[in-house]
Amino acid sequence: MISSPRSKEKPLGRIALEDVTVRFSKAPALEDVTIEVEPGERLAVIGASGAGKTTLFRVLTRSVALTSGRIAVGGRDLYTLSKKELKGVRRRVGTIYQAYNLVPQLPAGINVALGEVGGMGSLKTLRTFLAGPEGALAKRIEETLERVGLSGRARTRTADLSGGQQQRVAVARLLVQRPELILADEPFAAVDPVTTERVTDTLFELNDEGATLLVNLHDVNIARRFPRIIALREGRPVFDGSPELLTEEKLSRIYAGDPYGTAAEPDPETQYDVRRHVEGSARLVEGRDGISAH
Amino acid sequence: MASPPTEHPGRMGGAIPRFSWKTALAVLVVLGLTGWSFAGTKFDLVELFTSTRPIEKFISGMFPPDLSAATLRTTAIGLLETFQMSFLGALIGAIAAFPLAALATAEAATVGSSRRERLLRTVPYRLSRFVLNIFRSIPDILWALVFVIAVGLGPFPGTLALAVHSAGILGKLYSETLEAVPVRPVEALRATGASPLQSFLFGRLPQAMSGFTSLTLYQWECNIRSATVLGLVGAGGIGQQIIISMNLFDYPKVATLVGATIIVVLLVDRFSAAVRKRLVY
Repeated sequence: MISSPRSKEKPLGRIALEDVTVRFSKAPALEDVTIEVEPGERLAVIGASGAGKTTLFRVLTRSVALTSGRIAVGGRDLYTLSKKELKGVRRRVGTIYQAYNLVPQLPAGINVALGEVGGMGSLKTLRTFLAGPEGALAKRIEETLERVGLSGRARTRTADLSGGQQQRVAVARLLVQRPELILADEPFAAVDPVTTERVTDTLFELNDEGATLLVNLHDVNIARRFPRIIALREGRPVFDGSPELLTEEKLSRIYAGDPYGTAAEPDPETQYDVRRHVEGSARLVEGRDGISAH
Repeated sequence: MASPPTEHPGRMGGAIPRFSWKTALAVLVVLGLTGWSFAGTKFDLVELFTSTRPIEKFISGMFPPDLSAATLRTTAIGLLETFQMSFLGALIGAIAAFPLAALATAEAATVGSSRRERLLRTVPYRLSRFVLNIFRSIPDILWALVFVIAVGLGPFPGTLALAVHSAGILGKLYSETLEAVPVRPVEALRATGASPLQSFLFGRLPQAMSGFTSLTLYQWECNIRSATVLGLVGAGGIGQQIIISMNLFDYPKVATLVGATIIVVLLVDRFSAAVRKRLVY
């Protein structure tokens, strides 16, 4: 249904972070992060709140300044690209967020159309601004909205949709954009289970069609459905591997000192979360269920 | 307030500011300024209530108000003119304010832009802020004096004065609205390759739009009030009729003019408030 990523352009290629450090004022958000992501990979990033997950995603679109290190996309340094080249990269990166980050005052259809905005010239931008999307784009918007279960809602004001519906609008925007790299920043933290399933399925479908998929997750159970998991703790990768290798012991170390999922100071005396033994592994410790952390 | 500067273990203190030398100094400064200003303005409530000056004659002379047909017609014409001045002033002001506000809006994200690009962005930003500051900080009655000298007496210079002053105020408030808009949707657009103009058109502007409407309506309200005063310097509107009647000691007519003005101002306030309440954000 969705055509494969733009064939004309050279694919984005492999993403390589080399010793990437990002500090805000003094506190490090990322510290010496070296990660490689192959095209088409399906990757989950976990870690407590404040571990640097969101910053990791933001550097991939050059949305924060690097303190040191290098990020290569397809062999080219992302942070030295010209404005035009950067735009070309960003156009092929799709994002989806916990807080949807749609423009609530616009009709749902326009928010979906904004997946294409990076590729619009000034004339088309103006026409879309004044008269709305037309022709092929309008048709594609209707189709994608139908695909996410929101057919006929293109004219509905986005703010009037429920949270789960808004997240599906965000997914529809991704479908219109057809990105090569999808950055999903805790997309399930604020939506219902049905939408979670639906969004996961769509993201996996896009991944199957060739897009690289990076998802930030609070919910370790969903993360286990990914072939590769990276865990961050205090800005450093502390785990990188398949879900079978992610033992409960490793998990509790990842979330240690963070009993409420907040960015609390790490306490050396609570290296292991004692409640894990009380509650057993069937139940998730607070901060890992994706709810109590917000 | 008088809690000591050191923390009492177990006591959190209320919501009022805690004692510090800074607050103590601030209180002293306010008290000093109060006394000084009382003295400087010869502020005297006793004088206000025991004075035998013509204020009594003025007020008693206003009753009964002059309700003759001629006066009513003058009042109606004056009010209509005031209304037209205030409306046009707000409209022209809003139209002029918009591009200035767009230029005077700081784009938060400058990651990855070179020093030259940042400089290129700073120049129009500073320039439009400067223009808006001048428009705004000069009171409309001073603008009216300037325009009366430039184009002569009448409602036209008054309208120009309102337009310029409105542009200054609205431009500042518009740009503040644009900057205060939730920034995440805007950043999300930028992250997927939208240009600054695109993220402005689709990200910032739609979020600020209802704020603009509300601010413009409020500015119109303010203009109605201002327009009644502009006549005092010969810039048209009902104020001009008021000052003429005052100079002729025609207090009954003044009463009618002032009473009608109050009613119209209240009506416009009510109307505008009702519309603003219904705006959807």
